[in-house]
Amino acid sequence: MSYAYLFKYIIIGDTGVGKSCLLLQFTDKRFQPVHDLTIGVEFGARMITIDGKQIKLQIWDTAGQEAFRSITRSYYRGAAGALLVYDITRRETFNHLTTWLEDARQHSNSNMVIMLIGNKSDLDSRREVKKEEGEAFAREHGLVFMETSARTAANVEEAFINTAKEIYEKIQEGVFDINNEANGIKIGQQHSPTNPSLPGAGNQAGSASSGCC
Amino acid sequence: MSNMFSITNIKNRFISVIAPDIPPLPSAHNHQLHRGNISGAASNYQLRMAHQQKKPDKFAYARPRFLQLLTIDELRASADHNVRPIIVPRDTNLLPWGTGYAECVNSGKSEWNEDQAAFARQVLSDPTHTHPDLPYTYFGIFDGHAGYGAALAASHQFHHILHEKLVDCLELLLSRESDNSNQESVFPHPSQFHRRVSKDELIIGALESAFFNMDSLLAQDRDRYRDAGGCTACVALFINGKLFVANAGDSRAVLSQRKISIACVEKKTTSTAIVPATSSEAGADIQEVFAVPFSFDHTPETERHRLLTVARLKPHLMEKQYAAMEYAKRPHMKDLGQRILCRQGTMKGWTYKTLTREDLRMPVVTGEGKRSRLLGTLGVTRGFGDHDLLAINTGTQIKPYLTPQPEVVIRDLSKIVSIPDENNEDGDYGILVMATDGLWDVSENDAVARTVFQTLAKYPTEKHRYTMVAQELVARARGKINDSGHWRLADSKAAATVDDISVIVIPVYQYYKEHVEWEKKYAELQQKRQSVICPSATEAREDEIFLVNGVEKAHVEEEHEDDEEEEVVVEVNRQQAQATIDLEEERHSNIESIKEVVELVDNELTEAISALYAADSTEDDKNSEKDSTVDTPEKTNKSTQQQQQHHRNRNRKDKR
Repeated sequence: MSYAYLFKYIIIGDTGVGKSCLLLQFTDKRFQPVHDLTIGVEFGARMITIDGKQIKLQIWDTAGQEAFRSITRSYYRGAAGALLVYDITRRETFNHLTTWLEDARQHSNSNMVIMLIGNKSDLDSRREVKKEEGEAFAREHGLVFMETSARTAANVEEAFINTAKEIYEKIQEGVFDINNEANGIKIGQQHSPTNPSLPGAGNQAGSASSGCC
Repeated sequence: MSNMFSITNIKNRFISVIAPDIPPLPSAHNHQLHRGNISGAASNYQLRMAHQQKKPDKFAYARPRFLQLLTIDELRASADHNVRPIIVPRDTNLLPWGTGYAECVNSGKSEWNEDQAAFARQVLSDPTHTHPDLPYTYFGIFDGHAGYGAALAASHQFHHILHEKLVDCLELLLSRESDNSNQESVFPHPSQFHRRVSKDELIIGALESAFFNMDSLLAQDRDRYRDAGGCTACVALFINGKLFVANAGDSRAVLSQRKISIACVEKKTTSTAIVPATSSEAGADIQEVFAVPFSFDHTPETERHRLLTVARLKPHLMEKQYAAMEYAKRPHMKDLGQRILCRQGTMKGWTYKTLTREDLRMPVVTGEGKRSRLLGTLGVTRGFGDHDLLAINTGTQIKPYLTPQPEVVIRDLSKIVSIPDENNEDGDYGILVMATDGLWDVSENDAVARTVFQTLAKYPTEKHRYTMVAQELVARARGKINDSGHWRLADSKAAATVDDISVIVIPVYQYYKEHVEWEKKYAELQQKRQSVICPSATEAREDEIFLVNGVEKAHVEEEHEDDEEEEVVVEVNRQQAQATIDLEEERHSNIESIKEVVELVDNELTEAISALYAADSTEDDKNSEKDSTVDTPEKTNKSTQQQQQHHRNRNRKDKR
């Protein structure tokens, strides 16, 4: 399936906060209660539609364990968007956000859009981090914020799609150099601003894609 | 994808892959420079490539199956040349015994990662059910060039070919009583050509002929499928308690080992006596880490002698374009008539000769080390494929200089006497690292061995510790990209590799353990068979074991001395094999008459073997250690006694 743009995302955050589950929920619309430790990096992809344009998201899901940190750092390069995830039921994953953010800022291109995500919102009874705290952190560091649940799928679509919208706006504003692939954006063959043959318009998400570009 | 295959693109890519240090030339420019038969050859080449485009791929491009990169999106992401992600299996249980694997794509010299890897766990089963099934494990690593087809085909097909070859000599491989004992007593007349062939030679033969068959298969496929390019092949085979490594090309297998030297052991014991708490630390500090090569690189430089012999015996292959000569410096027209330092043909030393016009031809082998080239084009001289490969600029056929013939190295795991402990959990069995030249170009063997054990120490209990080793090795060889877009090694700022990198990390000890367990099961079943046939035999056997228990220690020590020499054993322990055969034969004489019993036992055996195979790699270490310590003496006991018996036989024979 052809796309107008391809955006590369990276998902980062402490181990066990639900990075792989967020990806699985977004690409496959399912939840896996027990997920193996991610070793290295895994990939996912899905087509979405923004402003009537087909946009492919290529998502890099990284290992959260400290041991993988140096390898993960090399994956920030060439990412247009990042989902920085913490677990609302584990305070320490929130406390580590500053380190993650420093890493991300240092190793990515300066225009990378970062979305802060407080995951596991379904476990409200075990909550250790208030929603307001997440909002405050995001405001302070200029991030977009959302609480999600990979289990119930609440806000998962929105998290990925809102990030894409922000990147798309930056492209429209001419902030991104879209000809440099190191910025995490690739132009596809489908360029026309409005393509009548496309199913649906606006911010509706397309189906999970398995086709080739 | 189609636009990528425009002729010039292909050609440029093809040239840069084969000879990366030679800048790609636009073909038109090329024609103007060299008129006559050269441009003719080039246009033939273009015609052929144009024709090639219409043919399909035999196998759709994919990464090794155990990586589970199933969609084109995942494939594309994994081939990101700007980031070069390190890919490891998402499910480490797919590889046997926690075997580690990691890979990384090149920095842009070819669209896809042209390395491939494969493994297979198979069983050789006897159709007549007289022998127990023989399990084996195979790993292969293939470094492709001038396309991904050859390596991809090898990763899909090689193990099937190898399996067929092993099945071909099945009855000889499985037999324990074989006809050798009879042959030994009757010395054939020399004119009868009666040669005894060992099991090792059969396995080497299976590997060698499989290499040749794989190459022929690629030759046959040229008519129907797109040009596959070529690839190296490095294959490890664990069978019958032995490790066989067969290699053709410049991929490499290296055994990483560590040893506590005797002086250090003393130190360790004294420190244990004084301060027991630090003993393990002291032990860890003085462990000596070293690397033993298990393959030899085949490059124009290392194979210079063979290549020049080919050129000398078949001068027409050079098509009057090349010289079977080597010059200390490149001769020029202005040097004609002057003396020049050179070596001719297969000479090792250098001598002077007067420069003639013929000396201005390009030497068959040029350059040194990693940059050495055959016919100015190819940097690797053994492997599969390359059937249509032509030399840059001259269009001369390269394939006649190449061969799929592997060199095979053997290690008899049952000859290693080492009981792994917490300081050295792999014992003297070591860790086998198989990797493409992406790793070896920038890492010394010993440095790799150090990284192996450093990383294992960091992850003492993790199931994926060997994967971490593979990942670390790839990460170091790939290095980091700097601001100007060059890949640099982290520690030295030297250039990192821009090539594809693939690494397999194999804990060898597990295959010894596996074999011991298999032997034990086999012996138990033999015993069962016997007790069914004649119940008194069981008692006799117990006596036998008890009787030799004292001998066992001496025997082990004796073997340990052999081991200390640290040689790669390329020889069979014929005595042991023969002795086992003798004993087995006695037992077998009764068996044949009672077919039902045999069948019953065989069913059990099949179950036992499948149980063995199903055994989780994460099985309790304590248990397995206990097993191995119990098993080893029992095994050696048997062989010691049998050896004695064999000596007696031999003496009798010699007298005759």
